[in-house]
Amino acid sequence: MNIFTQKKQYLSLIVSLSAILLSGCNSGSSDKKTVIEYPGYTYIEKLGGEATAVNASHSGHGFSTPMPTLNADELEKHLAGDANFETAFTTAPNSEHPELDGVGPVFNNQDCNSCHQRDGRPSTITIPEGKNRVLLGSSAGIFLRMSIDDGECAEPSIDNNYCKNEGVPGFGDQLFHRGVLRARAEWDAAEDALPFIGQANVYLAYEYSTVNYADGSSVELKKPVFTIERPYDVTAENRLDSAILQADVRYSPRNGMPVFGLGLLELIAEADILALADENDADSDGISGRPNWVFDAIKARDNGPLPVSLGRFGWKANTPSVRTQSLGALRGDMGITNPLFPDESIANTALHESYLARTGYVDTGADENGEPEADQAFSDEVVFYAETLAVPGRRNINDESVVAGAVLFEQINCTGCHQPDFTTLTGDVKLGGVDAPDTLKGQHIYPFTDMLLHDLGESLADNRRDFTANGNEWKTRPLWGIGLTKTVNPAAGFLHDGRADNIEEAILWHGGEAQQSTDDFMALTPIDRQSLIDFVMSL
Amino acid sequence: MLLKKTLIALTVSTLLLSGCGSSSSDNTTVEETSFTFDSTELITNLTNDVIVEGYETLNTKANAFFLATQNLVNTPTDENLLAAQNAWKAAREPWEQGESHIFGPVDSLSIDPHLDSWPLNTNDLQSLLDGTSTFSADFISLLNDDVQGFHTMEFLLFGDGVADNEKLIAEMTLREREYLSATAEVFQGYTQDLYDAWVSGDDAYQDKLLTVDNDIYVSQLAVVEELINGMIGIVDEVGNGKIADPFSESAATADTSLVESQYSWNSLTDFTDNIIGVQNVYRGEFDGAADKTGIIDFVHAADSTLATRVDDEITVAIAAIIAIAGENELPFRQAISNTEARVRIQAAIDALATLQASLENDVLTLLNDWEV
Repeated sequence: MNIFTQKKQYLSLIVSLSAILLSGCNSGSSDKKTVIEYPGYTYIEKLGGEATAVNASHSGHGFSTPMPTLNADELEKHLAGDANFETAFTTAPNSEHPELDGVGPVFNNQDCNSCHQRDGRPSTITIPEGKNRVLLGSSAGIFLRMSIDDGECAEPSIDNNYCKNEGVPGFGDQLFHRGVLRARAEWDAAEDALPFIGQANVYLAYEYSTVNYADGSSVELKKPVFTIERPYDVTAENRLDSAILQADVRYSPRNGMPVFGLGLLELIAEADILALADENDADSDGISGRPNWVFDAIKARDNGPLPVSLGRFGWKANTPSVRTQSLGALRGDMGITNPLFPDESIANTALHESYLARTGYVDTGADENGEPEADQAFSDEVVFYAETLAVPGRRNINDESVVAGAVLFEQINCTGCHQPDFTTLTGDVKLGGVDAPDTLKGQHIYPFTDMLLHDLGESLADNRRDFTANGNEWKTRPLWGIGLTKTVNPAAGFLHDGRADNIEEAILWHGGEAQQSTDDFMALTPIDRQSLIDFVMSL
Repeated sequence: MLLKKTLIALTVSTLLLSGCGSSSSDNTTVEETSFTFDSTELITNLTNDVIVEGYETLNTKANAFFLATQNLVNTPTDENLLAAQNAWKAAREPWEQGESHIFGPVDSLSIDPHLDSWPLNTNDLQSLLDGTSTFSADFISLLNDDVQGFHTMEFLLFGDGVADNEKLIAEMTLREREYLSATAEVFQGYTQDLYDAWVSGDDAYQDKLLTVDNDIYVSQLAVVEELINGMIGIVDEVGNGKIADPFSESAATADTSLVESQYSWNSLTDFTDNIIGVQNVYRGEFDGAADKTGIIDFVHAADSTLATRVDDEITVAIAAIIAIAGENELPFRQAISNTEARVRIQAAIDALATLQASLENDVLTLLNDWEV
């Protein structure tokens, strides 16, 4: 289990394996012997251990396969969760299917799949010809988190509300840009009607910049810029008086992300992750790495003494488990209350009060029996689904360029944050407060993440604190499966706001602690740059 | 390709482990099940003459449907209503057949949910019809998916489908006709987008299949894997979702509200077209057209018995779905509550399960034996 020191295969080769094969064994010439260190991950195909799927690893179903090691009962639960993941919730009341109603009343999407298309990333919004911006609607898999700027928070305690961000008065900590038909009082106004609009309209546009390589080639980068209009708390004429348009409000765009292999990530021992942290950069490699310590709703529910855990999921590692992440999204992103989060996302706001009064209090966040809109079984199944989606197998692992890229990936220290491998816990361990399935235990996995926060520089910064993560920090994304991103969804983008259209652009956005690696990447020859990209695409 | 990789790995390790001079390195025998097949023609044909041609037909029929709704707005007669109903059904056919290859732009551009969200929200639709908004294409395009697309238009054209699937122009309001036509315009815009995404520009999706080793498909194997998984996906959805969900465990628990295309009573035609779509991909041509290269030829290269068996299973599944209606020509929404028809429905579910098992266990796995 102790795998922090990257294992290496030391192979003494005559220039390359192909040279061996071509030159034959009788050659006695050894004057060009070169020692090539192949990182231990170079030829690994099953990145998720035995929980890797290879039958769909070349096509659009690559992220949507159950772990092949599930038993019959587990597979049944997984498939039930699969259906739940695609369940589109409807406006309350729905007399034919009351179990499906209760979406919103304001939300970002009506089902999980819309932000995690085919269990991967959502489509990046494109601006149609002749327009300069797009209103976020049902096709958007991105939303804005928001909060009041209140400085940094170092150590969560009851006194600082466990470093939770302070939401915007009347809105909360997530901007719900969509709504049910009548969410807004102006839904059927004679002019500028706002049917299906949530707390505000959010528009997306792009600004562009160029990065030049020393060899004369260049790459154009784009960055989303968001504009907020028609917030519910003010009239159109008084837009700037809105609580969400004040100077101390901080926003952070959040794109949907892939949902496979998550149970394995949750079963990485906390000690193994913390052992990688180097908060003060004691080894002076320019890379620190900090854990995020976040509020844990499960510990709070169970009356734990300090409801705080290591953050593992989300762009800034702001949730500790697949369960809190998934059920938080069910309540937040979709507005479906559930046993872990039983209150409506906008409870006690003026918009909610207005909506309830206008519609006769039919959608209070509880079903006809006073229970949450999604029950325990639904919740358990959808969580289990995300915990047990298989990691896709690699492709092209023997390709010459891929092999060369694997070496470069380590040489320019991408592995400084994208830690190649771990071995998951064994024994009697919990996953989001319930017993972990055996299929996830004791697996030697290659997620290529250290699960820690890193300062990635000003260009990528959202300037918004999230628990103990500061405005420059992001959690290292796992790279397993990343090469299938566009196969699963051709319109998908990378990074927290989908700004990067491909791996090269994503690399070029890396600054801060990753600046040296980015500089080294830019200094590579075009062939070597392509090799490194080929390696990442093989994951 | 998978096999090839394995052989390379074996060869290398054998060389390294056994050392030079050993004569024991020739035990890396190729498995007898391996086969060769040049998939270039298959991919070219299925891309151009099945997928793209299908989307072109869809767009043409969507255009015709939009024009029919305009006629209905301008000249509200029973004759024009019937023409619009028939134009809706005509557009439905290529869409349902195209569900055998739901990947690429139809998914990434969210065209599937825009066009075919089910069930629709009849409460919200009625609220909008009772409201004051003017129904333009711009207005409709900003609405939720459950108040636009095929089934919203179906509801407006055919009524609620409970007693019959016929609607008279006297039962259709002006605002219903305006909503229908604006929705049809938006609908046609999406079918145009879908077709364009496959054929136009530097990033035309057809090129991703035709010229592999790109950011989406690394090899021809990847494309064939995509095509087979597409067939599996719709067989699974028809057997285990579209039919099984409303069918339920007994006539008492059968759920009409889950029946797709229940207003037009077009459900069984939808399901049939879904599996005809599978047949198109498998055989490589539309029904009745001249023989071209399809997945059947790939399977045939490996196992001619299997190739024929799967083709037969597709035919049997189509026949079983058609047979559900019975002599009384029951629509599916009534068949699920009819004791005799339920036996026929179970037979169709079983036929689809057989086909799905063959595609998953026997056809998809051929990729492991294929020497690309």
